[in-house]
Amino acid sequence: MPKHIVRLITLIVVFAALAAVAKWYFTADTFYEFGHYRGASVPEIAGLAPVFQTPQYCQACHTERHAQWSAGSHKSVICEVCHGAAQGHPQNGKLPIPKDTPKLCSLCHEAMPGRPRTQPQVAVAQHSGGQQCIVCHNPHSPKIAATATKVAGDAKAGQQRAAACASCHGERGISPNDSWPNLAGQNATYLARILAAYKSGDQKDVVMTPIAQPLSAEDIQNLAVYYATLSCVAPPSQSRVGDPVAGKAVAANCTACHGEAGIGPNPAWPKLAGQKPAYLVNVLKAFRAGLRKDPMMAGVTRGLSDTDIANLAAYYASQSCRP
Amino acid sequence: MKETNPALAARRKFLSKLGRAVTYAGAVVGAGALSTAQNTAAKSEPSAGGASFPTKDYDWTKHRWGYGVDATKCIGCLRCVEACKRENDVPGTAHHFRTWVERYVYLEGETKPRIDSQHDPVNIEASGSEKEYRFANRYKDAKVDKAFFVPKLCNHCTHPACVQCCPTGATYKTKDGVVLIDHKYCIGCAYCVQACPYGARYFNHEKQVSDKCTWCYHRITKGLQPACVEICPVGARIFGDLEDNKSPISQFVRNNRVRVLKPESGNAPNVFYVGLDKDVI
Repeated sequence: MPKHIVRLITLIVVFAALAAVAKWYFTADTFYEFGHYRGASVPEIAGLAPVFQTPQYCQACHTERHAQWSAGSHKSVICEVCHGAAQGHPQNGKLPIPKDTPKLCSLCHEAMPGRPRTQPQVAVAQHSGGQQCIVCHNPHSPKIAATATKVAGDAKAGQQRAAACASCHGERGISPNDSWPNLAGQNATYLARILAAYKSGDQKDVVMTPIAQPLSAEDIQNLAVYYATLSCVAPPSQSRVGDPVAGKAVAANCTACHGEAGIGPNPAWPKLAGQKPAYLVNVLKAFRAGLRKDPMMAGVTRGLSDTDIANLAAYYASQSCRP
Repeated sequence: MKETNPALAARRKFLSKLGRAVTYAGAVVGAGALSTAQNTAAKSEPSAGGASFPTKDYDWTKHRWGYGVDATKCIGCLRCVEACKRENDVPGTAHHFRTWVERYVYLEGETKPRIDSQHDPVNIEASGSEKEYRFANRYKDAKVDKAFFVPKLCNHCTHPACVQCCPTGATYKTKDGVVLIDHKYCIGCAYCVQACPYGARYFNHEKQVSDKCTWCYHRITKGLQPACVEICPVGARIFGDLEDNKSPISQFVRNNRVRVLKPESGNAPNVFYVGLDKDVI
C-alpha cells in the first residue's frame, strides 16, 4: 500500500478513536443506562422534598382539631387547603389562620354557574351580610348541627300540663305581657329543646327553671306539641321598640337560620315573626351579655348596638307569623 | 524518495511526535474515563444486591401510574393550581402553570362556549393578585344554558411527541409511565413546548428550561398523592397505579366510561376524563 494512503488511514483511525474517547468522556455517566436520557436525573427528581404534608402529619400534634375535622362535613378539605403547605412547620413558625373568611370560603361556596348542584353554594353577599363566616360556622365542621329531632307528644296531655303556664304565656299560648314570649305556633322541636335546657340547667331563668325542673321528658314533648299546634295569630303588640325598616337591614345577617321574615327553614330554630318585641330585645341583650348561652347567637349579637337590637325586634314583631 | 530533504525530514519528525503525543493523551484520557465509568457503575449498580431504582424504597418497574379527572365534580376553586405552583416552585406569575382549570360557559342563544381559565385578566382582577387564583363570578347575572369546569395537566402520554423532538435527551418517559424533564440537560430550546398537542408545557423563564407536570414524581415515589390530588376538596382528581386492580385510578377507569383528550393525535394520553363535552379538546 502506498505510504500516503497508510498515513491517511492512520489519521482517520486516530481521529475516530479520539472522537470515541471524547464522547465517552463527555457523555454523562448514566446517560444510556435506561435509555436516551441521564439515568441519574430520575433519583434527582424523585429525591425532592414534598411541600404539602397531608392531614396525618398535622394529626400528630393537632389531635383534637383533626378528630373534629375528620368527623365533620369538611373532611374532604385537608388542613393545607386553608392553612397552606405545612413544610417547615412547626420548626419555622406558625401556619396562617385565614382572617378574611368570606374571601376564603367563597372560593368554593360562592354560587356560580358551572358548579355542580351537589356543592353547597350561597350568594355570599346576601347570605352573611358581610359578617365573617366563622361567626356561625365552625370551619372545621361547618354544617350547622341543629338536629331537628322529631317531637312525638300528645297535644291533649300537653294541654292539661299547660294550665300551669297560662298565667304568663296565656290561655292559648299568646302571652298577655310584652316581656314573655308567645308560644302558640312555635316550632315543637325548638320548644322541646329549650324546655329540656331549662330542666337540665343548661339554660337558667328565675321563673322558668323551677317550673321546668319537675317536668318529665314526656311532659316536655307533650307541651311542645300542644303549643306548636295552637294558632299563632295574636293582636298586634302595643309597644314600639324601634324602627322595623332599619331592622330589616340588620336582619339580613339572620336570614340563613331565621328566614327572611322570621320563619326559618329548620324547626330547631325558633320562629321570630310576630313575636313580642320587648321579649326579643331582652333575649338579644341576654345573648350579647352571655347570660343566655349559645355559641352562634353570642357571635351574631356581639356586634349589635342597642339601637340595632331594638330595630331588629321591631322588624320581626311586625312580620306575619304565617308564612 | 531520498531522505536528504531536510524539510521533509522535519515534517516526518513532527508528525511522528504528534502521533506519539496523541496516543499518550488518548491513553490518559481513556484511562480517566474508564475509571469514572467504573465509579458510576459502582454507584448506580447496587441492583446486584436487589436494591430498587430510583430510590431505595421505590422500584419503578413495579408501577404504572395513571390519572383521572371527574369534570362533573370540579367546582373551579383552583386550589389545585395554587398547590401545584407551591409544591413545584412554579414562577409566581399569571402565565406559568403545570396544571390549570378551564371554564366552559354556554350562554343562551350562543352555539360556541365562552372559555376562560385562571389567567384571564378578569379572573386575575377578581383574585387581586397574580399569585392567587379565583374564577370571577362574571356569568352571575347572565342566562347560562350550561357551564362546567375542566381541570387539565400533562397527559403523560404513552407515545409523547415532546420526548421525540427533544434534541438533547433532556425529557424522557420513565419505566413507571411518567414523562420527566432533566433540567440539567435541558438547553431551553422549547421545541417540546411547541410539540405538545395539549399545551401542557410552559417555558420557565427563571430557570431558562422547559417545565411541566411530573405527577409530583417526588411525592408518588414516596407513597404520597400528587399535590393537586391531595388538595382537591371534592375528589375531582384521581391518581393511582394502573397495575393495581384496587387502586383509585383502576376503579375509576373500570367504573366509568372514560375518554382522553385528542386521541387522534396518536400520543395515547394517560389522563382519563369523565364528564367532558363535545367542545372540550
